Amino acid sequence: MKSIACILLILLLPFQATAQGDYSFDLSEIEKKPYTFGGYLELTPEVFWLDHDAAFYDLNFYDKGEKDYLDEYFLKLSMHGGYTKGISEIYVRGNINRTESHIDTGTDITIDEGYLSFKPSSTLNISIGKKMIMWGKGYAWNPVGFVGRPKNPDDPDLALEGYIVATADYIKSFSGPLRAMAVTPVIIPVYDHINTDFGTRNKINYAGKLYLLLYDMDIDFMFLKGDSRPSRFGMDFSMNITSNFEIHGELAHIDNITQKTINRNGTITQSTTDIESYLLGIRYLTETDTTFIFEYYRNGTGFTVGEMKEFFGLVDNGMNDYRSSADETRLRKARAVAEGSYGRRNPMRDYCYMRISQKEPFDILYFTPSVTCIYNVNDDSFSLSPELLYTGITNLELRLKAGFIVGSENTEFGEKQNDYRIELRVRYYFDAAK
Amino acid sequence: MLILAAVPSWAAEGNNLLLQIDRNLNPDSYEAYKKLINIEPNGNKKEFVLFTVKKGKDKVAAMFLSPASEKGRSTLRLGENMWLYIPNIGKPIRITSLQSVVGGVFNNSDILRLDYTSEYNVETVGDMGSEYILYLKAKTRTVAYDKLKMWADKKTLVPLKIECLTEASMLVKTIYFKDIKEFGGGIMRPSVIETDSPLYKGYKSIMIFATMKERELDDEVFTLIFMPNLDSLR
Repeated sequence: MKSIACILLILLLPFQATAQGDYSFDLSEIEKKPYTFGGYLELTPEVFWLDHDAAFYDLNFYDKGEKDYLDEYFLKLSMHGGYTKGISEIYVRGNINRTESHIDTGTDITIDEGYLSFKPSSTLNISIGKKMIMWGKGYAWNPVGFVGRPKNPDDPDLALEGYIVATADYIKSFSGPLRAMAVTPVIIPVYDHINTDFGTRNKINYAGKLYLLLYDMDIDFMFLKGDSRPSRFGMDFSMNITSNFEIHGELAHIDNITQKTINRNGTITQSTTDIESYLLGIRYLTETDTTFIFEYYRNGTGFTVGEMKEFFGLVDNGMNDYRSSADETRLRKARAVAEGSYGRRNPMRDYCYMRISQKEPFDILYFTPSVTCIYNVNDDSFSLSPELLYTGITNLELRLKAGFIVGSENTEFGEKQNDYRIELRVRYYFDAAK
Repeated sequence: MLILAAVPSWAAEGNNLLLQIDRNLNPDSYEAYKKLINIEPNGNKKEFVLFTVKKGKDKVAAMFLSPASEKGRSTLRLGENMWLYIPNIGKPIRITSLQSVVGGVFNNSDILRLDYTSEYNVETVGDMGSEYILYLKAKTRTVAYDKLKMWADKKTLVPLKIECLTEASMLVKTIYFKDIKEFGGGIMRPSVIETDSPLYKGYKSIMIFATMKERELDDEVFTLIFMPNLDSLR
């Protein structure tokens, strides 16, 4: 804990030097350099209070000894840098992550983005390399995010890892009802060591997006065609009904997707079908600076209540086997299907998302309290996450967040490994190129 | 004091006056560097440096150059449509004119300000000796402030002070224009804009212009797809 205190002290030192000063505007502040180098240092202590009756507690801890709570400490150094020469730019973003935990301690280094781009004119931008491409208008979920990784609805603003792609943007503006148009083709190769988690290897996939600003509405049409993943197409839209009321939506159709379900005995069943996923949402700002974000999400690839019950039954049966004869066969099967499937975030069919945030209450500048609820419509379980965010100190961001999980037996949130959790995130941004 | 009544021909005269004020504040198409400073009652302050481009009546975009926590964020305004691009999120999201991407007294419509003539009609003009008082009314309900009361210097035809009012004539904020400076290229305008608000007692926000120059810009610069690339214009 001493080392954590030292890190906190180091994080807090720099703002003391910037708290005073005059209102000068030195031209050196706007000088453009050919290179950039910046990022943030982040410390996140987090405590989970564990639920001994939950399926995911059994699955994650059956071989690790009984625990009432789990405290974890994450230290992250996120860095990004770039170099520009003429019309070309090279950009890299990566992280060094250190985790201290009873179940998973270690350090890993990831390169989230690293690409070369060419901007021959304001209408054309070509990029090759590892790049994060985010499609869709949804805040918590993006069913049309065909070439990106899924967001964490509990923290949708986190930067994600990209895929290795070749892509371009061609933009054209018009006068008249169609005010702008952009075409974005994307090529995604999947080979050994290249985008291996995108899908089937030794294939090249093609995707594209057409963006239109029609009257005052953003509209996108997109597709993904290839053999690594089932082909899919979709659209999204976003527009302001009034200056403080925005609506958005997404619709995705996936052809011939194969879905695997497992029953309580560990038997896997496969079925292939076409599915639709969609999302409808609003963002509303009141006169008192309260922002409401509400989204309904239909996850076409999600499991039904019955399918989830079978999975939880498998874990129960596995635990009985383990306790009676130390036989881990069914628990291992359950672990295998939990990864990226039953254990993924929001694995079921219908969800509602609600976030209420209040800007600067009680005249406290840069202070934003909020509360977020993710509600599983199918089984009436939900998570509730109150949050306090303070950004009043230059380059320092403090976030205190709690999470409460409510749900009965055999429900998504009821079977999560913890009942509640609390985390403090201290993030200090730096710009070393200044 | 002479009050010009709101008859159509005189209103047109008032609108012409407002157009001259707009052109004296900035060229039709330009680039500028500005700093925003939010000052709290206890003296604490937070600074933001932005690179801004504007074209025509309804297109304006800006990119944050500092502090590090905001660097790379960009905002785009097309008429009453506004978007914010945050590098972490990787895509633009719609925002409203009443929000503030920097906190403090300046809201998004103050930071991404269009020409006054694009949002307001002049209802009446008052003659106060060395100053005009222009009474402005928003053209649509989507404009951030329903009414403006603008004091303008007769000689230089630049604003000295603007009171921003709600439909019920409640004062939302007062903007003060100070320190007229020669920016080159025939641009001579206030280089400092201060604002305070009865809604934020004791708080003050300041906008300082370091440079402003006329610049031809492609329409494509003012699109969602270009938002991450605004820095390439510098």
